[in-house]
Amino acid sequence: MNSTTFAFIDEDAKKEIRRSLLKAVALPGYIVPFASREMPVARGWGTGGLQITLSIILERDVLKVIDQGCDASVNAVNIRDFITEVTGVKETVNTSEASIIQTRHRIPEHEFAKDEKQILVFQVPTPEVLTTVEPDTAKQKQMHANSDYAKLWVLLYEDTSQYGDSRISNRYPVLINDHYVMDPSPIPKYDIPRMDNSPVLQLFGAGREKRIYAIPPYTSVKPLKFDDREFKVESFSGISCERCGAQNVFFDEVRRETGNHYFCSDTEYCDQHLEKSNAS
Amino acid sequence: MLLEVQDLSKIYGNSCGSCLALTGEEHGRAICPECASVVAINSISLTARKNEILGIVGESGSGKSTLLQLIYQDITASCGKIFFNGLTDDRNQPLNILKAMPATVSHLRNKEMSMIYQNPHLGLNFLFSAGGNIAQRIIGAGERNYEKIRKGALGFIDRIDMETSRIDDYPENFSGGQQQRIQIAKALSSSPKLLLLDEPTTGLDVSVQAKILDLIKELQQEIGFSMIIVSHDLGVINHLTDITVVMKHGTLVEYGLTDQILEDPQHPYTQLLVSSIL
Repeated sequence: MNSTTFAFIDEDAKKEIRRSLLKAVALPGYIVPFASREMPVARGWGTGGLQITLSIILERDVLKVIDQGCDASVNAVNIRDFITEVTGVKETVNTSEASIIQTRHRIPEHEFAKDEKQILVFQVPTPEVLTTVEPDTAKQKQMHANSDYAKLWVLLYEDTSQYGDSRISNRYPVLINDHYVMDPSPIPKYDIPRMDNSPVLQLFGAGREKRIYAIPPYTSVKPLKFDDREFKVESFSGISCERCGAQNVFFDEVRRETGNHYFCSDTEYCDQHLEKSNAS
Repeated sequence: MLLEVQDLSKIYGNSCGSCLALTGEEHGRAICPECASVVAINSISLTARKNEILGIVGESGSGKSTLLQLIYQDITASCGKIFFNGLTDDRNQPLNILKAMPATVSHLRNKEMSMIYQNPHLGLNFLFSAGGNIAQRIIGAGERNYEKIRKGALGFIDRIDMETSRIDDYPENFSGGQQQRIQIAKALSSSPKLLLLDEPTTGLDVSVQAKILDLIKELQQEIGFSMIIVSHDLGVINHLTDITVVMKHGTLVEYGLTDQILEDPQHPYTQLLVSSIL
């Protein structure tokens, strides 16, 4: 691989992406444009996350890539193989071992190290939280500048008045550091409270939309909710994983003729839990 | 003083610098002969007191709607000053809202002032329900308690003589007159101090017009807010307003008590207007 630079993209591109990242970290929740490069995968297949990972990765890093909590899905495997091939870094499925975790639509179940040294890179399809209520990008910018999120609140009001609660299942809007409202990428509501005051640096990359944003470690992340209403996450009470027996985690639901089956969404957590229960 | 407008002007086009002096009523034109810029508003000064109802009349193209949009900050003025309700800057000087921070302007537009447009499509968001539209302003004014927002919206639906069961219907399912009433409910739901109305009843049939004007007047007396109402219909002006200003070519040509202006118009244009309509 001596014909390419370390980590595939050229140094000028990395510099530009790193500058956008610095700006994003300095303004938590603010959307920073960047010149999204051509990648060997099509846009919309994780190129935003990929470019962030390739710009920040060092030889000593340890990489984990998941897709919906799974280390073994085709997307995760391909991205992990590509990054290790162009960098030569060590790969892992172990959350606590990884220094960079690139993820699509989930946050790993295991708690992160408190030393702020881990980085979580999200792949984002729709970075702008206001697109659902305001299609005009100039107006969106103005609304962010004025912290004018009344239209998002109206969606919440309408769902509450007509269905009793918000109908949003993923991409739930979150208020970052009491200033910008941000799209957390299509993670389930279950993961939203786990973003709050997290010790990891959370970076978000949207390759197709050419946008980057970030949440620095230990930043407040609050879901939009009315003062007199609770924020409800997915309920899995009484359910345990059929494979490892774990409870109180986020489950994948598999529907069969024999009924609904539940398995841990995070495969690494499932493996570890199985190992522990076999040992005891 | 609730609202004070000083020497407000709006010029469309690259001004040559002497546009304001070369246009206006005394020149009989609103287009600058030097540079062909359109002077929509030419050095207008006016004031509105608390609970006062001000009417603006004039022929089409005289700048009535532009003046309202300048006050509501829908468009940016070329020069002049607007002061609102004793608002001051950080040095305690009266704050010219044309120079205010976006957050201040946003607060003024979301809470302190409301605009009712002739076309409900401008004032209502048709993607939100009637209740949602009203909620948007209540939320914009800072309320984050669902029950209070819902009760507020229901209260206003009731106030505009509409069945409260229709609160979750969408604007397209209402008639034109009903849409206009929802617009009024939305505008008043943030308890604004100043209500701006741009031809609120034009295009509605006469019986509906009367109902809406009565509703506006009732609510004004009940809640207490100031209004500036633009209309080319002197009947509306006569019915609602205390004070009337007459505009032509972007300037004020007459200013006075509504009765006085309708009974004893001084300016030739006002005389023409009164004689041709009443």
